Amino acid sequence: MKSGLIKTFAALLAAALVVTGCGGGGATTSTDTGTTAAAPAASDGTLTIANGTDIESFDPQNNNNTASEAILVNVFDYLLKNDNEGNKVPALATSWEQTADNVWQFKLRDDVKFHNGDPFTAADVKYTFERLATDEALKQHSYFKTIEEVRAVDDYTAEFVTTGPDPLLLNRLSKMGAGILPSKYIEENGIDAFLKSPIGTGAYKFKSWAKDDRVVLEKNDEYFDGAPKWDEVVFRVVPEASTRVSELLTGGVDIVSGVPSTDIERIEQTENLSVETTPIKRVLQMIVRQTEGTPTADPKVREAIDLAIDKKAIVDSIAGGNGVLTRTSVTPGNFGSDESLYEQSLYDLEKAKALLQEAGYGDKGPELSLSSSSQYKEYAEVVSAMLTAAGFTVNLDILEPSAFSEKMTSKTFGELYMIGIGNSMNDASNNYNRFLASEAAGETDYNNAEVEDLLQSALVNMDEASRTDEYKKVQQILAEERPAIYLFQMKGVYGVNASVDFSPRQDEMFYAQEITPAQ
Amino acid sequence: MGKYLVKSLLQMIPVLLLISLIVFVLVRVTGDPVALMLPESATEADRATLTRELGLDLPLYQQYGIFLTNAIQGDFGTSFRYGESALPLVLERLPASFELAFAAMALAVVIAIPLGIWSAVKRNTFIDIFISGISVLGKAMPNFWMGIMLILLFSVMLGWFPVSGRGGLTHLILPAITLGVSLAAQMTRLIRSNMLEILNQDYIRTARSKGIFELFVIGKHAFRNGLIPVVTIMSLQFTSLIGGTLITETVFAWPGLGQLLVSAVNTHDMAIVQAAVFVIAIFVILMNILTDLVYRLLDPRIKYS
Repeated sequence: MKSGLIKTFAALLAAALVVTGCGGGGATTSTDTGTTAAAPAASDGTLTIANGTDIESFDPQNNNNTASEAILVNVFDYLLKNDNEGNKVPALATSWEQTADNVWQFKLRDDVKFHNGDPFTAADVKYTFERLATDEALKQHSYFKTIEEVRAVDDYTAEFVTTGPDPLLLNRLSKMGAGILPSKYIEENGIDAFLKSPIGTGAYKFKSWAKDDRVVLEKNDEYFDGAPKWDEVVFRVVPEASTRVSELLTGGVDIVSGVPSTDIERIEQTENLSVETTPIKRVLQMIVRQTEGTPTADPKVREAIDLAIDKKAIVDSIAGGNGVLTRTSVTPGNFGSDESLYEQSLYDLEKAKALLQEAGYGDKGPELSLSSSSQYKEYAEVVSAMLTAAGFTVNLDILEPSAFSEKMTSKTFGELYMIGIGNSMNDASNNYNRFLASEAAGETDYNNAEVEDLLQSALVNMDEASRTDEYKKVQQILAEERPAIYLFQMKGVYGVNASVDFSPRQDEMFYAQEITPAQ
Repeated sequence: MGKYLVKSLLQMIPVLLLISLIVFVLVRVTGDPVALMLPESATEADRATLTRELGLDLPLYQQYGIFLTNAIQGDFGTSFRYGESALPLVLERLPASFELAFAAMALAVVIAIPLGIWSAVKRNTFIDIFISGISVLGKAMPNFWMGIMLILLFSVMLGWFPVSGRGGLTHLILPAITLGVSLAAQMTRLIRSNMLEILNQDYIRTARSKGIFELFVIGKHAFRNGLIPVVTIMSLQFTSLIGGTLITETVFAWPGLGQLLVSAVNTHDMAIVQAAVFVIAIFVILMNILTDLVYRLLDPRIKYS
């Protein structure tokens, strides 16, 4: 009996080894040998891109995630768009000028057709932006409510009237939500019919959308700005990052976004594959409460928190080196950026400890609460450990994303919360709304009269040079007063098959017209 | 039988009402969807406007009244995330979920029945212990790990199957194995223990003593009686496969109901959560009725009153 049991145990062990050994072999083949070749991706005129999340809707005005916009820009064109340096370049509009403090005139292209053959005219511009400005249920409404009226002066001239001077109008017209809708088609068929069979003026036409699976677009031969490079573009939804990478390794897809730092080496060591990165407009940061009575009301404590965190170590270890240190959230490429604070970081553990002593704390520093969405769990844990090393007692509060958002909007956080904030407006104002006294009340309770004046003035200042100065001044004050402590600017990390030429963009868009079959 | 069916179906009504109330309250007390719908830079005024637009500023009882009136007419509201009617969004996921659940269940049955019987018949031999060991291993392997390992082995290394997505039969195999293996392991153990119990019964000894062919004794006399708990577990597992295969669906990018439901919970997409829970609840109740009917077929002694 005993020998029988031993034999059985040996058999089970062997079976376990077979199972795990197979897995291990799969995982290591490409890592260790470094010579595995990825299958060549499909070169039959189809470009396939895998993302972690699906689009929300084919209504460009009722979306609020970058992943949606990244796809919709291929179907709907803007009047003007951003190049990769953040400059405004013509798209459906050929030129524009400001004719009064609150009036802008746009000359439109006269050779553009929607996917159903209807001509694009100023009536479509009027319909698009008046819907955005008046329908309060649309997710993009808040960005466009400064538009009072759009006048169709003639078929190819549109005039925008804003509620007051709006230095951000061009930014609004080139961001998520501003894709031009077909007014005649929607008025005749209704918005539901449009959503089932959406049309725009873009280089690619809607073919199908299986939710949480894939969006398929096909080329628009009538496109006004050059022939499309691909017959079809497929955007697949593959939520699990390791599965996305496996798709890339097997040639199932040409490009994957959101490559985890643990998989970078595996991709780089595979023939025909490469990893492409670029800084994106999202800065990981901690919002700091300054409410009277909290430990962080003391500027010395806030400075100690900043100095206790070794941001470079965080970027190198958790982000796999894919981050840029910064002391401002207005990164280059955004209007108002102060580059003297960019690629800068403060870290001095001993000084942090000394500051706590100066602030009246003995060996035991103050108790802080740090909340974070589970999305940034690892970062929050490391920050918490670093703060503990400086003498703080940290109560870490990791929340599911929806619970986190709820807590954020109800302003019920403790001293610190961690969040990655993007900038779809490409403008400093987008970063600083939360530090206006009215918005900060109850959240950070940050209140500095000089900053308030500068921010309010910049919201309506039409002179670019002085507006830039206003934001630079604000950045210097905020870097000193720390209502937010910036950790680093994130990078977009993509895995790319050698069969395509792809340079990732700062704004994370996938313009299929800019992605070409490799020569 | 007819009476039983009518009674069971009528009992669905209070159950569904209760479920609707629980889900309605839970979805509302656990968070505010508006926070997730607007950008981080939205102001308080923006949030207030959207809350009003969505009718979320009304008192809860009023919101529930509106919800119930519409739900009876098949309208579960508009998905916040997709901006479309919720029920069709849920229903269009069912084929993918059923496909995967059926495949996993079929695989589990095909593996578990012969192994379970064989294990029982060869009790305490090497074969029995080996099968039990494999079952423990099958049950112990987390779906997540197993899915990724299967992808690495069969897709990345061997290139036999596509990595992910829903398509033809080849797309179905790896996710079905991932889901089916632990189910098979559980069923193998159950069949084995039932068969052991039954094989010791007097009527089996009688059948054997009459000189009936052993395969017939096991197949007809023992196995059929051992099936009732298996049917129970199949019914329970099948219902959970429909709504609860999130991990497998995520690993294989399978666009099923589980993925829809969890993303709806994460984004507080109330209409989808309500519609999906409703559909799953109806499905569970119907499966339970069906299970009762199958009991009757397997054991004619069971009577319904």
